[in-house]
Amino acid sequence: MKPRRVEVKLSLPVVAPLLDVVKELADGLKQTLAAKPALPDADAIFHEVWTGELLSNQNEDVSALLSLFNEEFFTEGMVAFDQTNAESIARACSAVRLRLRELYLLPLGDEALEIGEVELAKLSEPIRKAFMCYLFLATIQELIIQHLDESIIGS
Amino acid sequence: MAETKTNILPSARPAGQLQLEGMWRVVVLNDPVNLMSYVVLVFKKVFGFDEPTARRHMLEVHEQGRSVVWSGLREKAEAYVFTLQQWHLTAVLESDEAAAR
Repeated sequence: MKPRRVEVKLSLPVVAPLLDVVKELADGLKQTLAAKPALPDADAIFHEVWTGELLSNQNEDVSALLSLFNEEFFTEGMVAFDQTNAESIARACSAVRLRLRELYLLPLGDEALEIGEVELAKLSEPIRKAFMCYLFLATIQELIIQHLDESIIGS
Repeated sequence: MAETKTNILPSARPAGQLQLEGMWRVVVLNDPVNLMSYVVLVFKKVFGFDEPTARRHMLEVHEQGRSVVWSGLREKAEAYVFTLQQWHLTAVLESDEAAAR
């Protein structure tokens, strides 16, 4: 059976500016975990190893997300998900969204973020761009979850 | 049960330094960022839950702020917490003893 692949055509003028935000946050995520780990009574060495492993995996995932926006995207606006990148990209979207909230979106309030009801016109340019990026990454996650079945999101 | 290639637990814990005995709970806490559909996906993948079970736990997290998704020995509980953290869910370990207090 041919491996399943989902191709999505994105609006280049809309998405390209958001990539600057993603790249900026990706740099920060090289040293910082998107979600702070919590373990009871963990000693320092164990905590360091635990965090290091998570950070390494997070970096791999964020690299997969960034590699989605390759030459094909910049010439045709096309991105593709398949078995090799879907999980990593779904996780990376989560990491970047958590970081967006922490760095830009906290003033909007969590309730507004959860239901996605924000008055864009009232936002400053950096926060508006961050929120658009936040929504864009959620859309990518939804696409992966809805269109790739369990044969792709390996169970 | 679903295991992923990312189910790797750091193995550098010095032996005998922590309380390893007893039963431990893996608790997922609510966060305002992760999508409901994403959380369901993670529960299905990590624990091998069917769709209704995964949705039930997701709704418990969403509505009550937390859900106990697994309980058992500490080592395996740690592995689950680690994997959930790889998926950027907020997951913590609780000892059954502490939860009973």
